Amino acid sequence: MTNDTATKDVEIERTIDAPIELVWRMWTDPDHFKEWYGPDGATVHIERMDVRVGGTRHFAMEMATPGGIREMWFIGEYLEVEEPNRLVYSEAMSDGSGSILSATTEVTVELKSVGESTRIVMTHAGVPADSPGAQGWNVALDKLATRAETQS
Amino acid sequence: VNPTTTEGRLSDTFAALANPTRRAILARLSKGEANIGELAEPFNVSLPAISKHIKVLEQARLIERGQRAQYRPCTLDPAGLEDVANWADQYRHVWEGRFDRMDDYLSTLESKKRQEQ
Repeated sequence: MTNDTATKDVEIERTIDAPIELVWRMWTDPDHFKEWYGPDGATVHIERMDVRVGGTRHFAMEMATPGGIREMWFIGEYLEVEEPNRLVYSEAMSDGSGSILSATTEVTVELKSVGESTRIVMTHAGVPADSPGAQGWNVALDKLATRAETQS
Repeated sequence: VNPTTTEGRLSDTFAALANPTRRAILARLSKGEANIGELAEPFNVSLPAISKHIKVLEQARLIERGQRAQYRPCTLDPAGLEDVANWADQYRHVWEGRFDRMDDYLSTLESKKRQEQ
């Protein structure tokens, strides 16, 4: 997918000292997910986490700022659910009612048992290659990126 | 969304790019400067509608507008693009932090389990 997207993908590989079933639940069980997903000091509030293909993922991160509590909502859809090895979902910023406010990104989580541990390969793609409008976006961004590089 | 943070600016940039007309405007401007009338031409939309798109792109720092009174041509602004180009680097930090917290949380679960046994 890297060659099909205008922005670079984030790819992170980690080995976690826990069995694969538990690591899978870190991503799919709301009680576990909210304990690690948000930045330090943030509270994760999960509105929906319907882990099946086509199911909705809708949650907020609440952060205390000097101006009061700031909420950032995210919405997406589970695209692939293969317990306990593979999870793919889309993600965009939204509001509390689920209206999309930003471009959609795509997260792929691949888990593999390595002895007592689990290897995670996580890819977060800026613009899913098959999303509506991605092609137009890519054409525009490719040109822009070239231009930005030559100007900077 | 707070526009003074990189994260906030990036949200503005992505929101601005999440529209086919605005992407087409950017594609047109990559070929050279143009005024609003020229930008509106290929689309079946009114000048005020194009002006709105221009304003969104300007706020996202994707384009700049000239200062000449009657003729204010639009040009690309590399600032917003750099944010998009740096997207992967920023999100890498976010994800590294998450995995660190997942490790910590799993350790907490493990020690709780031991205490219970």
